[in-house]
Amino acid sequence: MQILHEREGTSLVVYLVDELDQHSARSAIEALDRIVTLYPEETIVLDLSRLTFMDSSGLAVAVNLHRMLRDTGRTLTIRHTPSQAMRVFRAAHLEKQIHFEPAQKEGSPCRH
Amino acid sequence: MQTLNRMTLRFDSRSVNEAFARMTVAAFVAQLDPTLEELNDIKTVVSEAVTNAIVHGYRDQMGEIIVSARLLEGNFAEIKVKDHGCGIADIEQARQPLFTTGDSERSGMGFTIMESFSDKLKIRSAVGRGTTVTMIRHIKGREDVI
Repeated sequence: MQILHEREGTSLVVYLVDELDQHSARSAIEALDRIVTLYPEETIVLDLSRLTFMDSSGLAVAVNLHRMLRDTGRTLTIRHTPSQAMRVFRAAHLEKQIHFEPAQKEGSPCRH
Repeated sequence: MQTLNRMTLRFDSRSVNEAFARMTVAAFVAQLDPTLEELNDIKTVVSEAVTNAIVHGYRDQMGEIIVSARLLEGNFAEIKVKDHGCGIADIEQARQPLFTTGDSERSGMGFTIMESFSDKLKIRSAVGRGTTVTMIRHIKGREDVI
């Protein structure tokens, strides 16, 4: 799993790349923790367009990030969630607690 | 139901093997010509069950995980994930959403996801002897997709 980030206007967009499972969850949580600390003012957008698989470990990653941002008065937006990952989020009813922007259309190009 | 094909994997309870297990089972089930969504569901339930065996079954020790899959008459896939770890004392409690004995990178939603993504889920466990999770999923296949 790779975690990349870039500025987009007043937001910091964080990309999760490749597969997110229990094997990669701890390093993902730690990397996101560092990013939230390094950029204390920015709005954080988690872009999942380059995520190829996610199991329930991804729920813990999202909830941890959501809590870290909430503790600093910010909110989390997740965008371009692939359908497989969205089904996992929906099974946990997380779409009611975290703001999701509409999914990326199948076959549309990645931003990079 | 008659078995059309079967396979078995044995591997160490290392988290790096989660991807190996889900990809291998998905490749095997691909013989039933599933949709992409069905294939993703298979990967998801295998990943959840193998993770449970690693994180909860064996915890801080290394052990063997056995994943077996059968393709059944009527386009059904049956997947079993077995460990010889510590077992589950209270299966009903373990099936509750948000229940976990793991660390902060666990959500406690593993069994909930397995139930959501499979048609039938059976858990057999004995404390000190291990756990077997059996999941059955009907594969409608791409021909049925409008």
